[in-house]
Amino acid sequence: MFAWLIEHILSNLPSWLWPVVAGAGATTYFLARIVDTFPTIKPYAFFVKPVSFAVMLVGVFMYGGAGITAIYQAQINEMQAKMAAAQTASTDANGNLHTKIVTKTKVIHDVQVVIKERIKEVEKKIDADCKLDPEATKILNDAAKNPLGATK
Amino acid sequence: MKRLLILAVIAMLTACASNKTVVSMQFPGTPDELKTACPDLATVDPTTQKLSDALEVVTANYNQYYLCKDKVDNWLDWYNTQQKIYNSVK
Repeated sequence: MFAWLIEHILSNLPSWLWPVVAGAGATTYFLARIVDTFPTIKPYAFFVKPVSFAVMLVGVFMYGGAGITAIYQAQINEMQAKMAAAQTASTDANGNLHTKIVTKTKVIHDVQVVIKERIKEVEKKIDADCKLDPEATKILNDAAKNPLGATK
Repeated sequence: MKRLLILAVIAMLTACASNKTVVSMQFPGTPDELKTACPDLATVDPTTQKLSDALEVVTANYNQYYLCKDKVDNWLDWYNTQQKIYNSVK
């Protein structure tokens, strides 16, 4: 949560802020000598140099981070655009495949309906001429059974 | 001054190393028709002596085979298409 908050805040800061911070730090660092010339603020001169140096370092560090983040962000955006296009293509391909499946399944079912009708037409003739031996049925059923067990 | 510049460059590079990003692609979907397994073959009623009954079951099984073959063909079609789409994202 804390990391997310920090990341959210940092990502919303303008990119020009960090060079400004670094520049301000560097400027203060080099102008620290001037502080020595003013007797009233001279005691603070001791802090000005390290603090301005630290500020400059933070600014430079964050500027480096912001720069590379911008490069990564551009790459991420490019990749996300490609992925969105791929997902659309994938959905379209599935839609086309669905249409193809429905058409082909209907053709196969229609053939089966015709075959059933043809069997009915000659049913009496077939059954009159030929009687099915129970052994033949058993062989047929054994052959139809899945050797790997029933389908789950 | 020189040390300052070296330190500044190191600080910048350290910031580069601390970045991490995750971009993941969603697994492609499949038509619902492909999500069901092929059923087992139908068997003939062992008590029947009518050849027409056996013929009906055998032809139904042939039909079932073509439905199942079509399903396998469609899976191959789906795989090849999705692979092409996936490989195009680089």
